Amino acid sequence: MSHHDHSHESGCPEYRGLSRREFIASSSSLSAAALVFPDWLPRITFANNFSSTRDIIVSVFLRGAADGMAMVIPHFEPRYFSLRPNIRTPAPDSLAANRAIALDNRFSIPPAMSGLLPAYRAGDLLVMHAAGQRTNNSRSHFDAQRYMEVGKPADPDISSGWLGRHLATVPPIAAAPVLRGIGLSTGLAKTLVGAPQTLPIADPANYGIGGSATTRAARMALLKDNYEGSVNPLRAAALDAVGTIDVLSRLNINAYTPASGATYPNTGFARGLRSIAALIKSDIGLEAASIDIGGWDTHAMQDPNGGQMANVMRQFAQGLGAFWADVVSTGYRVTVVAMSEFGRNVPENGSAGTDHGRASVMFAMGKRIAGGRVYVQSWPGIEAAQLENRMDLQVTLDYRDVLAEIVQNRLENKNLSFVFPGWTPTFRGVTK
Amino acid sequence: MQQQPPKGPEKPSRRDFLRIGTKRGGSAPAGAAAPTRSAASASVTEPRTAEAVSGDAAQAKLPPLAPWTDPRMRLIRRATYGPRASDISDVKTLGYQRWLNDQVNYATRIDNSALEADVVMRWPNLSRSAAELAPLDINMLRTELTNATMYRAVFSKHQLYERMVEFWTDHFSIDINKVNHLKLVDDRAVIRRHAMGKFGDLLKASAKSPAMLLYLDQNLSRVGAPNQNYARELMELHTLGVDGGYTQRDVEELSRVLTGWTISATGEFVFTPARHDFGAKTVLGVTIPASSSTVGLEAVKEGEQILDLLINHPSTARFLATKLLKWFVTPEPTTEQVDAVAGAYRATGGDIKRMVRATLNEGWLAQAPLKMKRPYHLVVSALRNTSALVVNINNAVGVAGSLGQPMFQFLTPDGFPDGMEYWAGNITPRWAFLTTLAASTSTTTYRVNVSPYLTGTPDAALDVLNAELFGGEMAPATRTLLRNYIAGGTINEARMRETLGLALCSHEFQWY
Repeated sequence: MSHHDHSHESGCPEYRGLSRREFIASSSSLSAAALVFPDWLPRITFANNFSSTRDIIVSVFLRGAADGMAMVIPHFEPRYFSLRPNIRTPAPDSLAANRAIALDNRFSIPPAMSGLLPAYRAGDLLVMHAAGQRTNNSRSHFDAQRYMEVGKPADPDISSGWLGRHLATVPPIAAAPVLRGIGLSTGLAKTLVGAPQTLPIADPANYGIGGSATTRAARMALLKDNYEGSVNPLRAAALDAVGTIDVLSRLNINAYTPASGATYPNTGFARGLRSIAALIKSDIGLEAASIDIGGWDTHAMQDPNGGQMANVMRQFAQGLGAFWADVVSTGYRVTVVAMSEFGRNVPENGSAGTDHGRASVMFAMGKRIAGGRVYVQSWPGIEAAQLENRMDLQVTLDYRDVLAEIVQNRLENKNLSFVFPGWTPTFRGVTK
Repeated sequence: MQQQPPKGPEKPSRRDFLRIGTKRGGSAPAGAAAPTRSAASASVTEPRTAEAVSGDAAQAKLPPLAPWTDPRMRLIRRATYGPRASDISDVKTLGYQRWLNDQVNYATRIDNSALEADVVMRWPNLSRSAAELAPLDINMLRTELTNATMYRAVFSKHQLYERMVEFWTDHFSIDINKVNHLKLVDDRAVIRRHAMGKFGDLLKASAKSPAMLLYLDQNLSRVGAPNQNYARELMELHTLGVDGGYTQRDVEELSRVLTGWTISATGEFVFTPARHDFGAKTVLGVTIPASSSTVGLEAVKEGEQILDLLINHPSTARFLATKLLKWFVTPEPTTEQVDAVAGAYRATGGDIKRMVRATLNEGWLAQAPLKMKRPYHLVVSALRNTSALVVNINNAVGVAGSLGQPMFQFLTPDGFPDGMEYWAGNITPRWAFLTTLAASTSTTTYRVNVSPYLTGTPDAALDVLNAELFGGEMAPATRTLLRNYIAGGTINEARMRETLGLALCSHEFQWY
């Protein structure tokens, strides 16, 4: 084990600039003339216990096995271009208008991913290649997603998620938290299963039971009584929901104005990130958010420049790019991590797409992420003999090494053997 | 040249994992009602964490609610989309076995012709061929399919059959947005035609269903460039199950066997020899020798041979038995239960009727843990149990979607999840819909008539509620809460609608 324990006392100056507590405090102490009080801020007061230096974690899951070889191109490998005659992005030194944009001497991104460039150039975005599940080579989406989310491959008995177990083993960051974790979905992602005070909420801007305002409190009280007598997991979820309805009803997320002129595109993914941003800034004690972006199962006609792959990469990059400008660049304590269950074959298939493969890419973003570079634990190569089954990029970086380092160093949870059972992580310098 | 994946330093057993949890100390919190939790998993640091952190809440075997004692009610809760008063009187007249027998043999024993005529009149395009459907507006066709499906679930007398249609729609899940009008043909000619027939016929129909072949990219697969998508899901999701004994090599070989299975320009299944790989293949230990292209159309039999192999494979019997048991009985079927249902499959050549009968075993249902209604089930049951007058069901279809079940639009081929840990958290939007439904007097969507409840006293109203929503088995605690609510104001229509809404929102109505 080589845990690098970073001291938080020497934290980045950016953070000193604006803590959330100070943000609230300064906002309310200034006169209305000096500062327009944003009307999406909560009209409620929480106990002042934001002494924690922990980051809020946003976990992004790219569902469907994202083609890491299309998202981050190893343009130094001539064979890459010959293995993908119909679905390649031209090398960065070509003259083609849709040529890739170099991240360094070896790796580049297609134009559809350019929304991430500001974060990368600011040193806040870490790109990791040849990443995935070292100890599991299932090509089943459903098995592989499950194993990644529960944080322990090939164990059919674990049902709780890694983020669920993380939240279960740290104290809340607020005195009386209502909603510690949120999934931007209609069902609870496996990642969050087991988390206390955590709900799937597809649309936080519209969350309530409706009906007559006059009788609402009485009806809510009745439901609370009724579900007190229910059984888990429904009982816990309903009681958390009652509290969350109360808090969210006091926010006006629809009126939320992103900072730094950030523009969230009108996609489901970006709308979800926008809601997460509003919840983070409204200081309700949120500690973790999980959000999906789908559409990566590109078996056919994936076309990274104009087709499905370009479209989904653009949604991903523009959404995260807006979140970076709005939340990360403005100094909020947030770490974003993005992963996919596995990658895809390096050679294209006969349908101008790619079938299920092995390694993909991962991303981490935050002010305390050692970003601005492409990290490769060791590049496995793409010559025929270097590929797994002669088709697939080998996994050299296990996703749990990345997540465990974030959990310990950014989320201040040292219970790694509980969060990632059976795995002794090696920290790779993901955080700083 | 597959690299051996490195092993983690230790592989704790499940018991070890739970011990990790208990080491964290802290006793089970007072007041956390978790009667079914095992002591081993019920302790971490946070109150509500304790029950859930091991994740076993996911698979929790929650005992039936205490008032749910009548075995006939248990049967119709599982075999219908919410027992209506007429269902209850039927099962009480006929008894458990005869009611079940009628539902399984629905076609000859229960006249449903009035509903079918109604469906044909309302949604005339459902019976059209692929070629006829192709030029029609897909938004209109999607609306017809979703609306007709939910309408049937609400009003059909063939309730168990409709539950099986939902089961197979998930088993052979297809996202209509990828295949458009072809899903209407698949729904009719694959799912509905064989939902209570022979599994072999169902699988073979699905394997030649243009919607399925298009959905899983089989239409793109050809010699020299096989696409593995359909071949993989055919074994993983449709027959053997992910642990059913196939390998990545089998996926690759089966994808070669199926080259040439594709779709014609008019949206029909066609086998195209020019796209077929005539080389030797080995799937699951069965070798198909190389042949020459002069075999032509006969080479479709290679794929058919493998379909038969899959249909008769013991893993298929067990996989289907396990799924059916999870659908109707328990999240964790026992070996004995799986053996019994898989035995029915093998003994009858895959007769779905016989498997369903074996699954809906009276003794098993007596012990069956609670199941939570998925959004579609919840919406349908709410319309049924309130005897809602449905003018246009499209709004209710939209509600199911916004609650997490957009019909025929699950993106991935594994179908909507069925675990309560997945759905339980999204309770607020359910409450919002149920509140709206009870209040509705709409003349364009659906409306509820509460005059049957307004006969006089609060207790009279509660008796009607108990009969309509809970089959006479409402919990006393819920009755007390609702009675207090009615008594807290004037008993008028508005108060009654709110009370009905609260009864629908109660935790009991979320279970079946």
